Amino acid sequence: MAFYILKRLLAMIPTMLGVAVLIFLLLRVVPGDAVEARYLGEGGQYQSQELMQMERKKLGLDQPLWKQFVTWMAGLARLDFGLSMWTGAPISEEIELRFALSLQLAIMASTLATLLAIPLGILAAIKQDTWIDYAVRVFSIAGLAMPSFWLGILMILSMLIFFKWLPPMVFTPLWVNPWENLAQLIWPALAVGYRYSAVGTRMMRSSMLEVLREDYIRTARAKGLWLKLILSRHAVKNAILPVLTIISLEFAFLLGGLVVTEQVFNLNGLGMLFVEAIARRDYTLTQALVMLVATFFLIVNFVVDIAYAWLDPRIRYR
Amino acid sequence: MRQFRSLFALLAIAGLALPATVQSQQPRYGGELVFPVPSEPPSYDGHREETFGLIHPFAPFYNTLLRVDPNDPSGTKPVPSLAESWTVSKDGLTYTFKLHKGVKFHDGSDMTSRDVKASYDKIIFPPPGVGSTRKGQYAVVQAVEAPDASTVVFKLKWASASFLAGLASPWNFIYKADILAKEPNWYEKNIMGTGPFTFIEHVKGSHVVGKKFAGYWDKGKPYLEGFRAIFMRDSAAQVAAVRGERAHIQFRSFTSKDRDNLKAALGDKITVQESDWDCILMVGVNHKKKPFDDKRVRRALTLALDRHAGSKALSQIAIVKAVAGVQVPGTPFATPPAELNKLAGYGTDINKSRAEAKRLLKEAGVPEGFSFTFSNRGIPMPYEPLGVWMIDQWRQIGLNVKHNVIESRAYFPFIRKGEAEVHMDFQCGYIVEPDLDMYKFLSTSRNPANYGYYEDPVLDQLYDKQSRATNLEERKAAIRAFEKRLLDEEAHYLMTLQWNRIIPHSSKVKGWTITPSHYLNNTLDTVWLTE
Repeated sequence: MAFYILKRLLAMIPTMLGVAVLIFLLLRVVPGDAVEARYLGEGGQYQSQELMQMERKKLGLDQPLWKQFVTWMAGLARLDFGLSMWTGAPISEEIELRFALSLQLAIMASTLATLLAIPLGILAAIKQDTWIDYAVRVFSIAGLAMPSFWLGILMILSMLIFFKWLPPMVFTPLWVNPWENLAQLIWPALAVGYRYSAVGTRMMRSSMLEVLREDYIRTARAKGLWLKLILSRHAVKNAILPVLTIISLEFAFLLGGLVVTEQVFNLNGLGMLFVEAIARRDYTLTQALVMLVATFFLIVNFVVDIAYAWLDPRIRYR
Repeated sequence: MRQFRSLFALLAIAGLALPATVQSQQPRYGGELVFPVPSEPPSYDGHREETFGLIHPFAPFYNTLLRVDPNDPSGTKPVPSLAESWTVSKDGLTYTFKLHKGVKFHDGSDMTSRDVKASYDKIIFPPPGVGSTRKGQYAVVQAVEAPDASTVVFKLKWASASFLAGLASPWNFIYKADILAKEPNWYEKNIMGTGPFTFIEHVKGSHVVGKKFAGYWDKGKPYLEGFRAIFMRDSAAQVAAVRGERAHIQFRSFTSKDRDNLKAALGDKITVQESDWDCILMVGVNHKKKPFDDKRVRRALTLALDRHAGSKALSQIAIVKAVAGVQVPGTPFATPPAELNKLAGYGTDINKSRAEAKRLLKEAGVPEGFSFTFSNRGIPMPYEPLGVWMIDQWRQIGLNVKHNVIESRAYFPFIRKGEAEVHMDFQCGYIVEPDLDMYKFLSTSRNPANYGYYEDPVLDQLYDKQSRATNLEERKAAIRAFEKRLLDEEAHYLMTLQWNRIIPHSSKVKGWTITPSHYLNNTLDTVWLTE
């Protein structure tokens, strides 16, 4: 097991290197750079070439590509992401500002998704083809069919029209004012969590149905074991593995992928930062965010793989 | 006697009504103005940045030497701000400004002419390594001098009709000379001015908070206790914020549909201010590409556009409205409609115009069904509806146009390559001033941002003539001649429709007047809230 963990950890290094090379090159293929984005956008078409060259020099964009890459990698090795090409502020500062919100939202949405998906999936499976099963299936298909941002818009409009109320527009950390914090984040968490719970519910249901038909469950029933015990000790533990994978990967995705939902609820999160960094051709910030999200995915994948061994002792790693 | 009684009754009513009217117009102190801002600036330096995202939340921390009259809806009249008064020498080459006394920076130090000189030196003669995006606009200035603490003198190389308007630029914040001397880029990351509000906090991506400056030089102002600018990219979220009464106003613009929805939902709680907007999309025709090097083809393109019908239809769905030439309609140098309608493509008889367009195309040897590519910027409003509209208009004179939509940030790098045949271009001004609005159209050798890639010495001469004219009528005549040559005789560029600025705001907001520029009127010193 220890060898397996070490092997997986080492395998992360070439993966990260690959991601780094890919994002570095892809960004430079896209037309324009941070200087053009800054001065050729709104009304600013009249800038002299001298000014543009001076700004490029300041940002190191006049350097050959290999040199820019080496400088960036040397910084990464020291865990120094450098400065944002747009604001000139340290990237760690830019990310830190948005990270608390994105992490809290991801945790809230994932928790909500898990709390809905697992019981509903189990219930639908054990009550297969009854009205309960149909109701759960309708509920989950509706969740799959509705994009979370659209649900978010509906929520906002409903609150406005029926209650003449809107969630707070500025993020307040949980430890500063829990009420304000929850009043702002509960709605996007519900919109996003419902969407992901739908995926989880369907996966849990089909996985449970498969497990419930296994020989060892039939044996347990034949032995006269209490149904609740069969479900909790034998069925759920085995059926939950694929659901765990899905919810974990969704959690990693939620950290940087909630662009439209963040826009609808005006949340100052990593998703919006990501899109703005790309639009502004902020190479350094985009690179840092891609590396951050890639690291999350690798870590989550790694943790899920380790959790598999704990949940299913039949799995042996070599 | 009855007449007297009626008179008394009238006087009594007037007597009762007058105090109420006066009272309702009497500014009230206190309150926090909340407004969404759709864009966030990269730095805090007004001398460097281009986006209104800097002006809306950060202008209240600063003053400029002059400002545009906050009560003038035309947005064209420079009035004193830090300057108390000014005189101009007979030859028009020396402008002397007397500054207000007792103006303090937010750190408590006195503002003097040294600070004004240092700020303008940074803008006009930036030291090495300092970026000034508006240096070119002040090419007329030879030197800035500060003979005593309350006097600033600008020496010009030639007489300029637009110089005062240039000094009313909302970007030209007055910074502290001592700070600039130590670190010329200090203001990129820090805020410290003489404005009516002091800086409290800026949480990136979230909001900016300002608080009333107790030591403000304009006694009695500001009225607000503070303001909170909230960065909000999504227009639906901005509308929801105003509708939910979480925000009072958004200073850029909403669409006509948003206006109608807000009015329907909130009724009298919403006040709507509208104005022609000093922003316009125009069509650049690449003179280096055949057959667009032939002015008959360019004239045909403009003759095909039914601007009057387009105005009626497009104003329902897009943020455009008025038919315009090179100046915002209704402003001092704008061509009156009757005269404007004589230009190619501005006539009211579209069938006649299109027949002429077809004749010109035939004469130029352009076959029926001729195909070309129209490049457009990937911004939905108003680029998309205007692009679709124009393609349909050109189809009606037998042209087959391919719509090439390019992602917003990649758009100008593409246009600058000179590969586009016909493309959408735009400009937005911070003040309606012919020098600023017409600079775009000078020959490419004088303005590399002219993406029509033409050389027209006659047009350049007309520009210079109006720019240096000291007589109003002489200037107007030169502007008309410039406009006729640009849009009609040579048809170098094609104007679409003037943008329409719509600000539906909470009726609690008073003391703010809309102007044609979304860069103006954001100092907030005159704004107050009724409750």
